[in-house]
Order: sequence, then C-alpha cells, then structure tokens
Amino acid sequence: MKWKLFANLAETAGTKQVEVAVDGEATFRDAVDALMETHPELREEVLDEKGDIREHIRVLRNESNPFVADDGFDTVLEEGDTLALFPPVSGG
Amino acid sequence: MYTLGIVGPDASAAADRFVAALDGRIAVIRHLVEDGDGPRFGQTRANGDGSRIGGAGTVETDARPDGSSRARAATTYDIGDGWDAAGEADLTLDDTLDRLASDHDYAVAIGFPDARVPQVALGGVEVPDPLATATDAAALDIEAAIDALHDRPERKTLESLVASVKASPRADRSGAIATFTGRVRARDAEDDAPTEYLEFEMYDGVAQRTMRTIASELEERDGVLEVAMHHRQGVIPDGEDIVFVVVLAGHREEAFETVRDGINRLKDEVPIFKKEVTAEETFWVHEAERDDG
Repeated sequence: MKWKLFANLAETAGTKQVEVAVDGEATFRDAVDALMETHPELREEVLDEKGDIREHIRVLRNESNPFVADDGFDTVLEEGDTLALFPPVSGG
Repeated sequence: MYTLGIVGPDASAAADRFVAALDGRIAVIRHLVEDGDGPRFGQTRANGDGSRIGGAGTVETDARPDGSSRARAATTYDIGDGWDAAGEADLTLDDTLDRLASDHDYAVAIGFPDARVPQVALGGVEVPDPLATATDAAALDIEAAIDALHDRPERKTLESLVASVKASPRADRSGAIATFTGRVRARDAEDDAPTEYLEFEMYDGVAQRTMRTIASELEERDGVLEVAMHHRQGVIPDGEDIVFVVVLAGHREEAFETVRDGINRLKDEVPIFKKEVTAEETFWVHEAERDDG
C-alpha cells in the first residue's frame, strides 16, 4: 500500500511517499494507523483528538475521496491502492 | 509544446536523432558562443560540420550568452517557408520558447545547461533531474527519452492556449474569447516584504485530470465552445505568469462568467500547493491563510 504526501505534510515526514504493510481485508483506517506508526510526527497535523482526519486535510484513495465515494474509514482497500494525504489546495 | 534540452559534447548529434524520431513541428535552438574565432555553436564544433538541423516547417533560432547566465538569441531566424528576420539580439531562450509554443509541437534546445527545461545529459554533464543520460548520442535510448519527455509538463503560454481554442471545430460559432492570467504579485501593500518567487507542487496526473474535468464540465454550458487551462509548476519568479484560463464562447457574457468560474474552480479543487518565498521568510500559503483565519 502506498501513501503519497504533499506540501508541508511531506516536509514533516521527510518523504513524499511511504510504503505501508497492511493485511488483506485492511481498511482505510488500518492504512491511516500504519502511516501514523511509521511517521508519528504526522499525527498532530493530520488527526484531531478523536482520531478523525482534521477538517482541512484532504484524503484520496485512487484519486477519489473515500469519505464520499467509498465507506470512509471502513473502506476495504485493495492491493495496489494509492492513498494520498494533502493540506488545503492553493493553486493559482 | 514539449521542450527538450540537450547538454554535453555530443549534443548536436543527439538532437539529430531526436528530430528524426519526433512527430510534428519541431524547433531547434542552438547555443551560440563567442570565442576568438568568432561566433560558433556552443557544442557542435567538436563533432560536426555546424550544419543546420531541420527541414520545411521548422524554425531555428541561434542563441548565445549575454555575459550573465541569460541566453540571448543571435540575429537570425531561419524558417522553412522562406520567412527570415534579423536583429533580435535581446531575445532570451525563454522568450524564444514562448514565441515558438503557439505553433510547434517540440522545441529542442542544445547547450543550455542552466535552462529550466527537461534535459538530456551526455558525457557526464550534470543537470538536475535529467530525462536521460548517456555517454554519447549513439548510446542514447531515444524512445525511452521521448516517453519520459511526454510525462513532463508541456510549455504553454496565453497565446498558445488562445491559438488552441481558435482551432476548435466549433470556432465558427464563436464571437468571444475571454482569458484569465494569474501572475506572481511582488507585494499586496506598500510595506509588504516583496515576494521573490512562488514554488508550486502538484499532484501530478490528478491535477491535470481535475483540470480536464473542470474544463469539460464548463464546456457543457450553453454557448461555451472550448475551455483551456494551464498551471505552471516549480519555481516561478516575481512578475511571471502562473496560470491561464481561456474560454471560447458564442457571446461575451458566457465567456466572462465561465472564465471566472474556471479560475475559481481551479483554485478550489485542483491539488496544487503554493510555497511563497519573500525577502524575509518562506511559508506554505495555505498555512498562512489558516493562521489569518
């Protein structure tokens, strides 16, 4: 499973890409947990006190938002999924 | 237009191979240097006869350094259809590429190691993030380098986008073109620390697909015929253009409305991240905005 990180999140983690190992039938929550285990320094910026994704942070699973297109944290992932985590966009 | 730089002792021979392998209209720009023997092409004399590359329909521009690191064009363009102009000694490589972008598919710039274009490096010359490296022209995997080039951003200008929408098969229904250009603003108020440059990071692939989706959705509107968008990447200095939105429409009202909605949606939806470097500090713009809010 591959996480892509952008902007200040990539700077905080010191890398733009993180491979995490999760079991078959793993959910999006498992992938978030695995990322936070590998890079605990991201937790403060990404998660709130309840462990939810902070409101201003965006997540994508294969280019769509799992909280809109799938089942949020319960989304069952497939091998080869690309997950992305980024701050508010600021193009233009 | 895809822009390809080639540096190293065998660059001219490599350019010949690219020109032969690429489809479309190709421009070749050669770096001209002055030495005791008069002007010559920067990296061609050692291995070649200085003959010109290209054929009908190609533009050649010879450029040379001006003493600083900026490239200046020599005084002659040779254009395959017979047009010929002289006396443009102050043209830089960037100016030249911008001018070529409207009506060329590729530009090959030989001998500009400092140019901000994807580079092929020969004979051990070092450039950041090369497209391909090889000991000499013959050892270069041309097809792989062309594939890599096609993964890099194209060079687009306001003029090249306007030309592309004017070429629409529906252009006969068009009475208006509206354009938006976003630029790097040096300061927002008199006492601001001046912005030196912005640096844009893009979620490659997703950003381009999101822009295409926005453009197609806007094209579904009545009277909107074509929408084109382009956002530049990497470091963009103060005063340069960042983003363009161009709308070809039947009438001015839908053109104005759609160009405004296009840039607003691009700024809201496309995964692009902006870092600002001023005379005093460096910061991510989204973080500064959160602090303000």
